Amino acid sequence: MDIKGEVVAVLDEVLSLKGRARGFSLNTPLLGAIPELDSMAVVALITTLEERFGFTVDDDEIDGSVFASLASLIDFVQGKLAA
Amino acid sequence: MAFEAFFLPTAAGHRFALLHGPNAPTKHCGAVVYVPPFAEELNKSRRMAALQARAMATAGYTVLQMDLLGCGDSSADFGDATWEAWLADVELACDWLQQQTAAPLWLWGQRTGCLLANEAANRMGRPVNLLFWQPVVSGKQFLQQFLRLKLAAGILGGESKGVTERLRKQLQQGKSVEVAGYLLSPALAAGLEKAELLLPHRSGRVEWIEISSRPDASLSPAALARLTQWQAAGQHVRSNLVNGPAFWQTSEISECPALLDASLMAMSETVAA
Repeated sequence: MDIKGEVVAVLDEVLSLKGRARGFSLNTPLLGAIPELDSMAVVALITTLEERFGFTVDDDEIDGSVFASLASLIDFVQGKLAA
Repeated sequence: MAFEAFFLPTAAGHRFALLHGPNAPTKHCGAVVYVPPFAEELNKSRRMAALQARAMATAGYTVLQMDLLGCGDSSADFGDATWEAWLADVELACDWLQQQTAAPLWLWGQRTGCLLANEAANRMGRPVNLLFWQPVVSGKQFLQQFLRLKLAAGILGGESKGVTERLRKQLQQGKSVEVAGYLLSPALAAGLEKAELLLPHRSGRVEWIEISSRPDASLSPAALARLTQWQAAGQHVRSNLVNGPAFWQTSEISECPALLDASLMAMSETVAA
């Protein structure tokens, strides 16, 4: 599975970035850097990732560091899939 | 297409309502009551609901969209809303619409609106068909996701741990909590938490539509489980999956044209008994 591609697609859809997410590199900062990433978008992202990858996220796993950059978000998804 | 905006008087204030209907009363396919989703999802969905109401009216349906108590331009604040009050509003909307037209009744629910529509249909005990848009099957799970908004806001502000437990404790103590600009009362939280998408009253059919932006998508496992169970119990239910954005939660207001067509198609087709 192309995890990076899937995560980028989810980001693009939920944040209505109109393809901008495809230009993101692993180092692209997310939280605090993308104005569209507000609290509703964070929850929508988590819910959509849960549905798309079929894992469940507990409340205490949700942390600002997960959404720091594209790389940290992909790491989080990979960690959930490996668990 | 005929269009009217007005206030419906109730025992507890007024409700803002929009009525769309066909121009020629000769071709009258059905009477539809829209049951909207929860909090911000309602605002994000207004455009799609309006587009669908117009499309339905053009196709020969009379459609009533009513803001529930504490929502939109209806009486009271969101913090005054309870699950019971919303169920009463849905029944009121159905009663009012059925006084205007004898056409077959549809309840068109979206997200948590499906929970309300289903429960209201069960209570009314008269023939009603159900159109579901991306139904929430468990109110409990939805409440958890809603409380997470506070958690997410905490992350943005640098604190997060224990936020949802604190909210739950406050609710248990009978205090309202503020989440994403909405004041959630303990009564509304409790009603939502108890709500489950149970087997509908078997007087009509169910048209269940999910939306996914994934090209290779299939119905969600939760939906499949529920549909299988209902079919086994003899309920007429059909499901469909359309491609498009999750417009009730995207940052910008987005549209899902495939959903408009799929809904009309689902409602117009007759089901073999």
